[in-house]
Amino acid sequence: MAGIFRTIYDWLLRMFWATEMDVTMIGLQNAGKSSLLRVLAGGEFTVDSIPTIGFNTKRVQKGHVTLKCWDLGGQPRFRPMWERYCRGVNAIVYIVDAADRAALPVATEELHDLMKKSTLDGIPLLVLGNKSDLPNKLSVDDLIEAMDLKSITHREVSCYGISAKEETNLDAVLHWLIARASR
Amino acid sequence: MSYVKKDEDADQTMIKLDRTSVFQDARLFNSSPISPRTCRTLLTKIAVLLFTGEQFPTNEATTLFFGISKLFQNKDPSLRQMVYLILKELANTAEDVIMSTSIIMKDTAVGSDVLYRANAIRALCRIIDATTVQGIERLIKTAIVDKTPSVSSAALVSSYHLLPIARDVVRRWQSETQEAASGGKQSTGFLGFGGSSQSHAISQSNFMTQYHAIGLLYQMRSHDRMALVKMVQQYGAAGVVKSPAALVLLVRLAAKLAGEDPGLRKPMMQMLDGWLRHKHEMVNFEAAKAICDMRDVSDAEASQAVHVLQLFLSSPRAITKFAAIRILHNFASFKPHVVNVCNPDIESLISNSNRSIATFAITTLLKTGNEASVDRLMKQISGFMADITDEFKITIVEAIRTLCLKFPSKQAGMLAFLSGILRDEGGYEFKRSVVESMFDLIKFVPESKEDALAHLCEFIEDCEFTKLSVRILHLLGVEGPKTSHPTKYIRYIYNRVVLENAIVRAAAVTALAKFGVGQKDPEVKSSVSVLLTRCLDDVDDEVRDRAALNLRLMSEEDEKASQFISNESMYSLSTFEHQLVMYVTSNDKQTFAAAFDVSTIPIVTQEQALAEERTKKLTSATPTLKAPTTGPPKSKANGVAEAATVAVTQKYAEQLMQIPELKEYGTLLKSSAPVELTESETEYVVTAVKHVFKEHIVLQYDIKNTLPDTVLEDVTVVTVPEEEDILEEEFIVPAPKLATNEPGIVYVTFKKLAGEHSVPVTSFTNTLKFTSKEIDPTTGEAEESGYEDEYQVEDLDLTGSDYIIPTFAGSFDHVWEQTGANGEEVSETLQLSNMKGIADATEQLISTLSLQPLEGTDVALSNSTHTLKLFGKTVTGGRVAALIKMAFSSKTGVTTKITVRAEEEGVAPAVIASVA
Repeated sequence: MAGIFRTIYDWLLRMFWATEMDVTMIGLQNAGKSSLLRVLAGGEFTVDSIPTIGFNTKRVQKGHVTLKCWDLGGQPRFRPMWERYCRGVNAIVYIVDAADRAALPVATEELHDLMKKSTLDGIPLLVLGNKSDLPNKLSVDDLIEAMDLKSITHREVSCYGISAKEETNLDAVLHWLIARASR
Repeated sequence: MSYVKKDEDADQTMIKLDRTSVFQDARLFNSSPISPRTCRTLLTKIAVLLFTGEQFPTNEATTLFFGISKLFQNKDPSLRQMVYLILKELANTAEDVIMSTSIIMKDTAVGSDVLYRANAIRALCRIIDATTVQGIERLIKTAIVDKTPSVSSAALVSSYHLLPIARDVVRRWQSETQEAASGGKQSTGFLGFGGSSQSHAISQSNFMTQYHAIGLLYQMRSHDRMALVKMVQQYGAAGVVKSPAALVLLVRLAAKLAGEDPGLRKPMMQMLDGWLRHKHEMVNFEAAKAICDMRDVSDAEASQAVHVLQLFLSSPRAITKFAAIRILHNFASFKPHVVNVCNPDIESLISNSNRSIATFAITTLLKTGNEASVDRLMKQISGFMADITDEFKITIVEAIRTLCLKFPSKQAGMLAFLSGILRDEGGYEFKRSVVESMFDLIKFVPESKEDALAHLCEFIEDCEFTKLSVRILHLLGVEGPKTSHPTKYIRYIYNRVVLENAIVRAAAVTALAKFGVGQKDPEVKSSVSVLLTRCLDDVDDEVRDRAALNLRLMSEEDEKASQFISNESMYSLSTFEHQLVMYVTSNDKQTFAAAFDVSTIPIVTQEQALAEERTKKLTSATPTLKAPTTGPPKSKANGVAEAATVAVTQKYAEQLMQIPELKEYGTLLKSSAPVELTESETEYVVTAVKHVFKEHIVLQYDIKNTLPDTVLEDVTVVTVPEEEDILEEEFIVPAPKLATNEPGIVYVTFKKLAGEHSVPVTSFTNTLKFTSKEIDPTTGEAEESGYEDEYQVEDLDLTGSDYIIPTFAGSFDHVWEQTGANGEEVSETLQLSNMKGIADATEQLISTLSLQPLEGTDVALSNSTHTLKLFGKTVTGGRVAALIKMAFSSKTGVTTKITVRAEEEGVAPAVIASVA
């Protein structure tokens, strides 16, 4: 019964207070961007997926908010194009493979380069340490330390550890994003 | 919105579209939420701009591309279609187009909206690059065999465009393509039951898939002849392929195969004959055209095709008539007697209200008719000329001009006709083409000269076009003094001085002077000088100046004056132009330190310039005799004309002058065409060029090393002449280093032992000698030590024709008698069993002998016999004339009797030897 009321309430919210927001998801190749997006949109987690060439879009419904997610390819040749797709969005989600320590310096460098762009000033940033289910992963605090996230200013910065495969902490991600919708 | 509704006066609105304002509006794409209607309108505006030729600069195109890619979040199908249309167009100019790959791939997958799936596939192939083609392989494969025709077609066409980018990947899709090519039948049968107009439409487009599939299959297999043959036979069988367009492709392919391989000719001809009876006109026409364009087609083979075309001539539809007459028109150029049978039908087309048909009908009849009927036709045309516009008159005049050049014997009738229409009313362009035709007659058909000049004289009496008058007066000045009665032209010219405007008067004075200077007859001379003296009182100063100058020249009795007036040589204009352009556009400041040096421009005689012009006219004015697919490589044989030779020699001369040792040999007299000494797929590809100098022969070897990861060092060629006592090797210029696929040059020079007039003929054995070194793959450097190696290539023949430059002469009989009078004659009869026919033999003989064909004999009119008249000069200036009589029979091939006359000793046998 409560479920029915909940559905009706959500529907009413969507009808009268529907909001859309743009979210860009970036990060190095094989960090798990496309997989995370698929899971967020309610799909199944798949182990092997083809690399994204260019970009992909998906809409995620959460309550009265529609998230328009732009999932960008992480291969080096697409990285110069990130900035263009980040302009004017409500939030940037930067996904890092928390278990791949070797790639971390590159990920850090790419992130800091991007954050220096004046066109992206003030856009909230959410850094996600993905693959927290793997044994070798970094903890959130270690990640903040390793990626020097404290030095990023002029914007809200948050950092979560998640696992797209085990679906851990995904609700927190969605809540964080929706909280940015009103802006 | 208003824009869409005002479709009637669309032109008005379109003009107002401005690129920058549309670009500004494009910010709309970034707004959220997206309004599909307004975005579609904006996309349409961009489409209009793109399709009317407006180009977006790269940065704007990239911004637009990016903006449009945001529209993918909206699912409106018509918006999506529009998005694809524009992305496709922008993909060429915008950067980073690869970004959209993933999002488009989503739309091409099975299950996405059929409405835009085809559009998505087509857009995908435009934005993809070679490295990612592999990623869409499975997708395209499924799309090719999709049961929706539009999707299948889109995938096939996309594969066709991807083929050059990613050949290996696309070739793996053969079996799917084959399925699509033959699959049309199945699904038509299924849909055919409906019988409604809609299912008809679908089955129609289904046939189109076959067309695309056949086209793609051909591209995939284009290197494998046997596969192509199989393809023609498999799909050419009745009923397999339903699309007429696909059949047309097969017809072309069959014709190409028949042309390339004589062994396939018979089966392919049978297929073509079958297609002549196909139920689609399109296929009939293509088959008839293919048969008519076939090389050396026999009368029997062509008669069926001509018959089919003849039936079409009486079709009620104008387009059918036009297609038929056009093919017949082309065919009549070289087989008039076969087209003869259609003459009654063609004659009824002369009065056709469609002028294109009428014009083709007339020009065809002109070719098919015999002597008598040409005259009759001329009469018929004369009546008809008054009714048509200048434009069509010009077409007819051009046809007659070409005929005059090809069949000089018919000049009298043509000339009468030309002079007749010259008197008719007409605009400048028309008159110009008539006058130019007459000029050509004068230049190239010597018999017509006097009559034509007389007609032109009459014409200028009443000519309203100053430009034409001036040109005619100039010609009278050049040609008049050489005729038997120069005085009669003087009267006409002087009339101009009295009656015309200043420009014509000035031209007339110059023309008059040419009669006076160097004139042997004192009476004529004095009367010319009287006339010129009168011109000294002219009101115009240019006329007075010219008169004064010429009077002075006439009193000078020396060579200089006559040389000045009747200059027989001129600069080679094409080279002159090229050099001037090079000089003016030079970036190097040093170039401008010295003034332009005119003396470097080669000087050609009037005769040479004429020859060049004639070749150009004949090749441009006559329709190509062979189909374009088989034509180009063969038609080059005509280019043996000396213009080409001169240009080639000059190019090499510049190269050779770079080498200090070769400088002292003097100027380069002649360079041969490159001779291939190896197959083009061997490890080392060698071509040789023979350069003839006054006392030396230089052999140039262009060597290319095709082995990967090796370097050849100290490359030399060991060249041994077969006969030792006529040539002595002087030195070799080696190529120091040859990296993979970088061509290098080795020169070997010989001294003629018998002096500068001798014509050494021999053959050389050639062996490459070099040190081969492998490249270390890690460092990219060549290894220290290598091994010495030798490589034998084919022998090189130095023949008599290497000493001969093709030269034009107005009359062959004249030069034939002259060279016969003071030179030697050699003749020989040869069997050329490897020639396919008369036309083939003609082309080959012209190029091997390196002589200029005269009097239009380079076009063989009959398949059984032909006489070829050739003329040229040796590098030292002695004349060489050759008369070749040929007969063809299918058993023995071409039998030729070659008679060569040459002024210099030893040349004639050497020339003959170059054929044997």
